Amino acid sequence: MVLNQVTMHLKYESQLREPLVAGVKDYHQVTEDIVRPIEAKPSKLWYIGFFISVACLLFGVYSVYREVTYGIGQWNLNRTIGWGWDITNFVWWVGIGHAGTLISAILLLFRQGWRTGVNRAAEAMTIFAVMCAGQFPIFHMGRVWMAMFVFPYPNTRGPVWPNFNSPLMWDVFAISTYFTVSLLFWYSGLIPDFATVRDRAKTKLRKKLYGIASFGWVGSTKHWQRHEALSLVLAGLATPLVLSVHTIVSMDFATSVIPGWHTTIFPPYFVAGAIFSGFAMTQTLLLVIRKVFGLQDYITMGHIEAMNKVIVLTGSIVGCAYLTELFMGWYSQNKYEGYTFWYSRANLFSPYGWSYWGMMACNVLSPQIFWFRKLRRNIYITFFMSVIVNIGMWFERFVIIVTSLYRDYLPSSWSPYYHPSIWEIGFYVGTFGLFFTCFFLFSKYFPTIAIAEIKYILKVTGENYKEKVGELEMENPDEFAHEYAH
Amino acid sequence: MKQNKHWQSFGELNNSEAHQNAAKDEFREELPFEGKENGGFFKTETPRRDFLKYLGFSTAAAALAASCEIPVRKAIPFANKPEDIVPGVADYYATTFVQDGDVVSVLAKVRDGRPIKIEGNDLSPITEGGTSARVQASVLELYDTHRLRFPTMGIGNDAKEITLEAADKSIAAELAALGGAPVVILTSTINSPTTLDAINQFIAKYPGSRHVVYDAVSHTGMLLANEATYGKRAIPSYHFENAKVIVSIGADFLGTWLSPVEFTKQYVKGRKLSQEKPELSRHFHFETVASLTGSNADERYLHRPSETGAIVAALYSAVQGQAVSGVSDAAKEGITKAAKELVANKGAALVVSGSNDVNVQIIVNAINEALQAGGKTIDWSATLNYKAGIDKDFADLVADLNAGKVGALLVHGANPAYSWFDADKVKSGISKVKLAVSFSSRKDETAQLCKYVVPDHHFLESWGDAEPKTGFYSFMQPTINPLFKTRQWQDSLLKWSGAATNYSTAFKTYWTAKLGGDNSWETALQNGVATANGVTAKPAKADTLAHAVAQMAAPAGTGSAFNAGGVAAAVSAAGGKKGSGKVEVVLYQKVAIGAGQGAANPWLQEMPDPVTKATWDNYVIVSPALAKTLLNIDLAIPGQADAYEVNPPKKLVKVTVNGKSVTLPALIIPGTEANTIGIAVGYGRAKEVGAAAVTDEGDVVGQNAFPLTSLNGSAVQFYGDGDITVDGGTFPIALSQTHSLYTTPQGTRTEVMKELTLNQFKKKPDQILEEREHEMKPFGGLENFEKQGTIYPVYDKPGIHWGMSIDLNSCVGCGACVVACNAENNIPVVGKREVSRFHDMHWIRIDRYYAGSIDNPTVVFQPMMCQHCDNAPCENVCPVNATNHSSEGLNQMAYNRCIGTKYCANNCPYKVRRFNWADYTGADSFPHNQVGHVSAATLEMNDDLMRMVLNPDVTVRSRGVMEKCSFCVQRLQEGKLKAKKESRPLKSGENGEWDVKTACQQACPANAIVFGNINNSKAAVVAHRTENNDRLFRVIEQIHTLPNVSYLAKVRNRDEEIATEE
Repeated sequence: MVLNQVTMHLKYESQLREPLVAGVKDYHQVTEDIVRPIEAKPSKLWYIGFFISVACLLFGVYSVYREVTYGIGQWNLNRTIGWGWDITNFVWWVGIGHAGTLISAILLLFRQGWRTGVNRAAEAMTIFAVMCAGQFPIFHMGRVWMAMFVFPYPNTRGPVWPNFNSPLMWDVFAISTYFTVSLLFWYSGLIPDFATVRDRAKTKLRKKLYGIASFGWVGSTKHWQRHEALSLVLAGLATPLVLSVHTIVSMDFATSVIPGWHTTIFPPYFVAGAIFSGFAMTQTLLLVIRKVFGLQDYITMGHIEAMNKVIVLTGSIVGCAYLTELFMGWYSQNKYEGYTFWYSRANLFSPYGWSYWGMMACNVLSPQIFWFRKLRRNIYITFFMSVIVNIGMWFERFVIIVTSLYRDYLPSSWSPYYHPSIWEIGFYVGTFGLFFTCFFLFSKYFPTIAIAEIKYILKVTGENYKEKVGELEMENPDEFAHEYAH
Repeated sequence: MKQNKHWQSFGELNNSEAHQNAAKDEFREELPFEGKENGGFFKTETPRRDFLKYLGFSTAAAALAASCEIPVRKAIPFANKPEDIVPGVADYYATTFVQDGDVVSVLAKVRDGRPIKIEGNDLSPITEGGTSARVQASVLELYDTHRLRFPTMGIGNDAKEITLEAADKSIAAELAALGGAPVVILTSTINSPTTLDAINQFIAKYPGSRHVVYDAVSHTGMLLANEATYGKRAIPSYHFENAKVIVSIGADFLGTWLSPVEFTKQYVKGRKLSQEKPELSRHFHFETVASLTGSNADERYLHRPSETGAIVAALYSAVQGQAVSGVSDAAKEGITKAAKELVANKGAALVVSGSNDVNVQIIVNAINEALQAGGKTIDWSATLNYKAGIDKDFADLVADLNAGKVGALLVHGANPAYSWFDADKVKSGISKVKLAVSFSSRKDETAQLCKYVVPDHHFLESWGDAEPKTGFYSFMQPTINPLFKTRQWQDSLLKWSGAATNYSTAFKTYWTAKLGGDNSWETALQNGVATANGVTAKPAKADTLAHAVAQMAAPAGTGSAFNAGGVAAAVSAAGGKKGSGKVEVVLYQKVAIGAGQGAANPWLQEMPDPVTKATWDNYVIVSPALAKTLLNIDLAIPGQADAYEVNPPKKLVKVTVNGKSVTLPALIIPGTEANTIGIAVGYGRAKEVGAAAVTDEGDVVGQNAFPLTSLNGSAVQFYGDGDITVDGGTFPIALSQTHSLYTTPQGTRTEVMKELTLNQFKKKPDQILEEREHEMKPFGGLENFEKQGTIYPVYDKPGIHWGMSIDLNSCVGCGACVVACNAENNIPVVGKREVSRFHDMHWIRIDRYYAGSIDNPTVVFQPMMCQHCDNAPCENVCPVNATNHSSEGLNQMAYNRCIGTKYCANNCPYKVRRFNWADYTGADSFPHNQVGHVSAATLEMNDDLMRMVLNPDVTVRSRGVMEKCSFCVQRLQEGKLKAKKESRPLKSGENGEWDVKTACQQACPANAIVFGNINNSKAAVVAHRTENNDRLFRVIEQIHTLPNVSYLAKVRNRDEEIATEE
């Protein structure tokens, strides 16, 4: 069905609410649009991007090889700063991994229709970000080959169990659970779409591979019914996880005794920060995908604006948290905390003052521009801001970890300046490589927008109605009734 | 009752034959072996083939597994167990540490034939079981890979190995061919009676020969002054313990001056503060550059080095009640105050000076005479024999050498080619000698010039004796067979002088005769010490000690008569002297390195200097005031101070004295006179002396500062007018501590460190208790703090509970404990680069804090090690339980459980946990992983020879695990076992009996550390705490870690009050 560009509006059609999918699409067109990148040959740009990502990944692998073979001494951590870039990056990636599940689970439960345009990519981002995040706690271990000690497996050593008091132990459970649930959620949503790709496949191999991936989905009512039920159950499971994961990550710091870490405000502040950075990262990626694959109709300005609203909200929450910390640093009259917050952080001229003010500028001040609708709906500003926010959130983790550790209780152990070594940077670059390698593969082989789900919100019937009956409706209702009666 | 028959199949219903057959066979399907149709595994066609397959695979797998190369380390048990060696049980032999005249009586701990640790000898009335860092580290030198292993002939690259016999033969021939030209034996100070005998025998054989004593850092001024005023070219004994007022003018008597271990023991006796009778000795210190002793002083005054004479002269006139003039206002105030106190305490006052100027020392003698120190704080009845060298003698020898007036030169202990100010002259002189023989055990700067090197034994391989104080003897016995083809140098001397006996026999004969019989000789050897009155037959500790102490401690009479003739001339000569240069340079010795003796020792190089906290280098010490003008660094501006602290590279400066210059990085050290700079000697050694003397870049460690000295008449002068310019570049300095104030803009961290003055303490003894009560108030106050500070239940701690108490008033910060811990606990050496990356591994460190003005602050030292918290923050964050709490209150590490998350280190508020960042010890299962940050010194420590020093009772930690102070758990276990075997409770210091001492406690010359079972009410540690309850505190107690280490606050006998926070 070829549609004319109907610009008229029906009498009872909302003038305020933007359509969730732009243009006039029918179901087939949706499938065509979304599956096109999978069926077409990848562009040159894709190849360039992919190989750069793989190169970064390989550099990361070599960096990790150095660290495992020669020891953590390859990094510039020291006896006072036991965590630096490693855990900064861990928390940063975990934070990024928050938007996906939030979009898919919480927004599903809240029946936010706009989520369908972005949830697939956001969930993929979550999975990949958590994969990246997981590398850091594993490889920051001095003896990574003994990493299985953190699991409570039956053993012959007594038996010796892990220490259930340790927040690192909780991390193991929180992150592995989160990863598992997110993966299942993501995959269960992919099944009908894989079936679509399978059904359209022209080569045997494709048919076979997508056939396996879609678990024999035939789209029967029963399948749909179960699919819906599963989605709800997983959404229910995932919702508390969105809140719990970063809460637990924050407890790595909050349960400690170090000034700057020992803070009860951490759990909500970390969760808000995670959503903040997660949405920013989603923006960054979606704006690229949207452009590269021509998906402007599905990822509309409405989506971008909605996410920018979340960004300005969570950014402000985070800003409040920063100010609260500063206030408490003074109000508590605790000289150790006072020193950390007011000297090591808020003082621009202290050795790491730049990181604190970088964080303030990126996370608190700059997102405030999104109070203006015009700026919220500007693609370039949005893209720029999404990058800025993620830089700011990286600063935040760096500030929390390094400025708290490097000058703690005993002035005698205050550390010299900490610069990352090339292998620490390499590890971080490597996780970018991993992330984008996965993301490029995902965008090539997976439907980047949930085909089945977007069809729910497609107003095809409405558009048909408009086309066929609209003209009638424009007429005098009495006439219409009269005609109809005949 | 009729039962319905339930059937499952028609077969069952009909009970067909097929069903019956099927039912019979429980496992209906055949096992999947080849030829299964024949029925069963054993009847298959090819069970043999399967069998062979399995056999082949398993053989191949086993062969493959077995043929993988696994390094085999042989441990061979004794075929016949020697009677006196029990595997796993250490033997202790009394012996003596002797190095260039320094003497410390020690015990060598020998495990399975290897000496592995040095302990102080409690029986010595001089050192009373105290040791120094250098003594502790000396055991490592035994196993040094750079020791010379055989005699050589030839210079430089021509040096060839020869046998001892060949060396004897050709040296004898060359000596015979001298044709009457004199032979000179050049040594550092020798105070061994039998060695002096051997030297005399040699000299008798070669008439015209002489013995020249050369000390790199001599006490010429003092010796000559004493000769002038007391008629004796000797140094008297000092009794710091009898002095209520001590005035030191540049004498670093706790660090490097004469006999620091002895003086520390004496000094701290006056620094023990009892709650009932709060009295302390008072220590005034006048110095130019911050020193260890100056840092401990109650009142420190700074002056220029050229002002020393004026200061001493002013003090002399002040003591005599005359007006003070000719000195700066600050010094004047100090002199007036000091003189007042000195005069008020006549007979209990002591003035010492580190100056090498005869006139200065004459005036000091006059002051001491005026204070009636003789017989009280100065004892002429027993002289100190540590330093006997007169610089003039050596200068004459250098002239003789260059004039070709010396036939042969035999060198032992002395290294003038390195340490003489005009080393070129020494070198050219030695090249003119026909025969030059060195007995050095390393290829040092002088040995490199000698045709023959006949290396001496290490003292742990040697027989010998020493008489550090007249009438007191300390004996040396071998604790291990010589490792290499070396020979005691006394043996060589005896051999070349044609003596019939060897040294050990001569030594035994001498002492058997002197002590009166074999029994006494054996007892003396066992005790390691004896006095002129002989030895007590019983080696019981208390007896010997009481006897000897009584013998030594009561000075007999006033000693020599004082001749005041030269004093007036000295005053006019010294008092007028003043430098003209804007900046003056002082050369000083570091506690660890000395005049270069420690430069080849990795433990000593890595020991942070007590004053500067720097390792592995020397540098230029500049005052904060000079830094402001010269380096553009103002430590008063937080931003600049931060930038200076957090960046290891420091600005290079070029220092020129007398036309000779060195370029070194500048460290800003408060407590240094504004326009005076200090440079440590002992660095810039030849690369051949040891791996520790070479940097990873292949340069020498530090720069030699000896060329900056000069000869001033009869004595070498260690200061001069200098010219200092910024050189442009930077050079990294590996500091183990970067920040030194416990004051912050947000408040003074009094929970970390507590100090107050004696007056404050007298006025309000419970000030610290009150302060603690205040800190603990939000958590229920001191009383209920343990319970109310936590939401968890509080448990009883029955049985043994280990605890430590450290008296900050006694601790002088010398660092002996740091090296003792190195030796005891197999602490790896990490090298300079790693220290500068803050990767040092020391389990115990000495934190140094400044308070007061930045130009002349007060200094506190705080030994810091794992606090063994009963509520340890490290324990609950470890995800794998690798660090946990023992029932005896130890915070313990299970190394093989540790996965290295470093979370515990982050959460340790004391930052005492140490992580193995690289494979420092070679203990890792990864091969070939010692690249990158592992330095050459670390690799040397991994050599099989160096590894012999490892303590077999302590695990060598591999890469990637956390480690920390264990309270020497291996010693605790040993002590508990001993008590158990004897069926008695463990003794921790009751009546002076100890089952267990930690290594740091045992090494401490100041008795600052007390350790034991705090559940034993009679334990010394309990007494230490309860008797000093007013001064007791725990570091950052308010965070409820409940540490088992407690501290006693520092109390300073100072007028100016120390600000405290209410």
